[in-house]
Amino acid sequence: MALLNTLLILLAALCIPGLINRTRARLAGRKGIRFAQHLYDVHLLLRKGAVYSTTTTALFRTAPSVMLATSLLAILFIPVGDLRPLVSFDGDVVAFAYLLALGRGALILAAMDTGSSFEGMGASREALYGALVEPALMLTFGTLALLSGHTSFAMLFEAGAADDTKLIIVLLLAAYVLTKIVFTESGRVPVDDPRTHLELTMIHEVMCLDYCGVDLAYIKMSTWLKSAALSMLAADAVAAAVCPRWWFAAPLAVVLTGLSVGIVESTQARNKLVRNTTFILTITALAALVFFTGYLLQLNIAIQ
Amino acid sequence: MLFLYTLLFLVLVVAAVFATPLRSKIWTALALTGAGALWASIHAVRVLAGGTVEALWTIPDTLFGGDSGSLDPLSALFVLLISIGGVASVLYSRGYLAHTLAEKSPAHVSLHYTSLTVMFYAMLGVVCSDGGLSFLFFWELMTVASFLLILYDAQRREVSRAALAYLIMMHIGFVLLVVGFVRLDAVCGTATFEALGQYFRTQSPLPLFLVFLAGFGMKAGVFPMHVWLPEAHPAAPSHVSALMSGVMIKTGVYGILRTVAALGELPVLHTAGVILLVLGIVTGLWGVMLAATQNDVKRLLAYSSIENIGIILLALGIAALGKASGNHFVALCGIAGALLHTLNHSFFKSLLFFGAGNLLSQTHTTSLDALGGVSKHMPLTSLLFLVGTAAICALPPLNGFISELMIYLGLLDGIASGSDILASAAGLASLALIGGVVVLAFTKLYGTVFLGSPRSHEVAEATEVDNLRIAAMALPLAGILFVGLFPQAAVACVTRAAGFFLRTPADAADWLLSPTLVAAGRIAWLLIAVTGVLLWLRRRTLRGRRIAEGPTWGCGFTSPNTRMQYTGESFSEGLQAIATSLTQNSGEGSPVGKGEIFPDAHRFDIGHRDRIGRLFSAWWVELLRVINQRVMRLRTGKINHYVLFALAFLVLVFLLSILNVI
Repeated sequence: MALLNTLLILLAALCIPGLINRTRARLAGRKGIRFAQHLYDVHLLLRKGAVYSTTTTALFRTAPSVMLATSLLAILFIPVGDLRPLVSFDGDVVAFAYLLALGRGALILAAMDTGSSFEGMGASREALYGALVEPALMLTFGTLALLSGHTSFAMLFEAGAADDTKLIIVLLLAAYVLTKIVFTESGRVPVDDPRTHLELTMIHEVMCLDYCGVDLAYIKMSTWLKSAALSMLAADAVAAAVCPRWWFAAPLAVVLTGLSVGIVESTQARNKLVRNTTFILTITALAALVFFTGYLLQLNIAIQ
Repeated sequence: MLFLYTLLFLVLVVAAVFATPLRSKIWTALALTGAGALWASIHAVRVLAGGTVEALWTIPDTLFGGDSGSLDPLSALFVLLISIGGVASVLYSRGYLAHTLAEKSPAHVSLHYTSLTVMFYAMLGVVCSDGGLSFLFFWELMTVASFLLILYDAQRREVSRAALAYLIMMHIGFVLLVVGFVRLDAVCGTATFEALGQYFRTQSPLPLFLVFLAGFGMKAGVFPMHVWLPEAHPAAPSHVSALMSGVMIKTGVYGILRTVAALGELPVLHTAGVILLVLGIVTGLWGVMLAATQNDVKRLLAYSSIENIGIILLALGIAALGKASGNHFVALCGIAGALLHTLNHSFFKSLLFFGAGNLLSQTHTTSLDALGGVSKHMPLTSLLFLVGTAAICALPPLNGFISELMIYLGLLDGIASGSDILASAAGLASLALIGGVVVLAFTKLYGTVFLGSPRSHEVAEATEVDNLRIAAMALPLAGILFVGLFPQAAVACVTRAAGFFLRTPADAADWLLSPTLVAAGRIAWLLIAVTGVLLWLRRRTLRGRRIAEGPTWGCGFTSPNTRMQYTGESFSEGLQAIATSLTQNSGEGSPVGKGEIFPDAHRFDIGHRDRIGRLFSAWWVELLRVINQRVMRLRTGKINHYVLFALAFLVLVFLLSILNVI
């Protein structure tokens, strides 16, 4: 069963980019590219040779592998609905967050390795936004830990079993915060626009400007896995509130991220860069508010 | 007697170091510290393994009612830390000071090595002493020795200023400790840490707790008493910075640990826990924000030391809160995290300061914006520095991750079990933010210094350092890898030492923590294995294909130069924009105006100073100057006035004694 869990996340990781593209195309009145176009793109990349900048060192060549390895390990902790994850222990939420941080750090350093001002720009922004989103992620995990009384992903979403309306509200709010974190972490509008064609305004894309071939394919796969892992967490929170079964959570993760990202990207403009910090700090503030709501509700329950 | 022996030992060290020829002084110092470290480590390991207490010295009838020293598991842990850090930094000093030997007088060099040796033994004395007179004696010896060590480049004005500021601040701390111990002696009859527990049980504990916290906090660099750190570390030679930042400030942590342990399970422990947690959060956040805005390698590292002290205090706070509310798992995680992070920080901070020393000696600068592309010229240094960077960012699979995992586990369990929800949540959010900004600060440091293209010709001509210095760096590296890859064994050492704080037996503690630690160890190995497999796959895929090299993609711009790279200042500009209230920004020179289409040459320096530092140096230095001026009026230079003063003093003492005041 644990293997099924991992397979479902991998599947979700492969589907989410396709659904995002499809949603965007439909909202713009286009037919859109093939659903699996991103897979063909990666396949193409895997068949290419490579060009490296003379400024770069071995670090530049190692970073994509480190990044993909961290994402691969990170998905092992994530449960899908009522399925058990492959790896589970007290405090795995921390390991998850720090594995993602390692991947981010590796890419930031790789970007700095090229000596390009554009990539330095992207690296600096990624470092700042990554730092600011961390408390929001941890506080959300804290909220779930408060509700469930456990500190590992496998048990974190068991709070919904109580069938308490108040808990359901908190869980849905936590899912909302997690979805916002997905937007930030996977570099989507309104924080970052992957379709932009101006390097000065990019964040995530500009960091991989000098990558091609296998390395770029690794980075792309790692990004899919990362956003699938975070989407699955958001879906789990919703599922815990509504219907805690895996056949509900797994499609929900794809639909939730696919549709919300697609809709937001079709209807909203990207933030001005200076507004991004405000946006991310708002997520943290929201996460703190959700935590307090959970705390107050728990106090109330205790009094009863 | 102890002092006679110490004096004798001092004379011997001085004689030994001064008698050896200039080039071999280092070997004398190394032999002296190495022998001490070996001897102390053997005892420490025995104590840690057996969980016993080894009595070292007992002297009845001294000041503070007798004096004694012993080696319990907590002392043993610190003895190990001091031994590793001390030997590594003496070993490192050979290559680092080699080029300065010609320009310094032999006496100067001898003084330096004597101080280095004495400092090492004084720190051992501090952690082995039970309190009272010998503790204060070794504490002061440590301060004086480190003061002399900072002064190696005394001809530079900023060095003597920093050293003097350090000496003054340390003595304020020392006075606080003296006040604390005298008060303790007045109530209990002795002034050991054991008596402190008795004092806390019988008297109102909070005032004395705060006095000790402030006294030890001065050494540890707790906010707002941290201002000496970022001044003293850049001024000192790098091996001294490593010793001070990696090892010496830990003696402050040691004192705080002893003080908290003496609180036992009194109700005041909860208040103490909250105080420590808040201090930890403020110190950590302040340190990391300032670290991220610094543009000098050593200043950045100094601020990061402050941040790490913050993390240690935060962990200790959560441990105290857990103990106070009867949640032993939280207490265990907190104290294990605090002790392990103390050990870890000494490893990676020594390594990083050695790395900074390599930079300084090979490129003659530590300014971020003058370096760049060092990794091509100093590959070993940059690899070691990268490991230190990843470790200090608490990234798996290295040691920082293990200790922060422990702390996070304590915080999350505090929330999950409902024992200290709000305090734990505050700690959780702050630690997460600290963790995030540390990644920013250190990717900035590593990215601008080691990666990219050289920004100055000094870097382009730099060469790798000698093997001895690399060997000195390998010592802390071994610690980093050991704790990161075998977390269960490392935490087992720490839980043995945690017995002073927790009554949970060490075996039970290991059993409680083992699921997480076993998993953390496996993740570390798995991460390495998966990365290896992916690298191999990448190589296989690329085999036989065309791999070209070319310039960095310039986005259509055809003649980029090295000065267009992102600098340290620009890297942290985004953070700077939201943290303006923390720093006092200064700009010297004139920036390029908006109207200048074809600008002339401009010179513009941006600096980010610590607001607290400014505050301190502003008012108390001024106050001291005024007081000094007033007091100087008494120095008339006439002997009859001095006789009058002496008479007045005697009369005063006489009057006070007949009024029963003293």
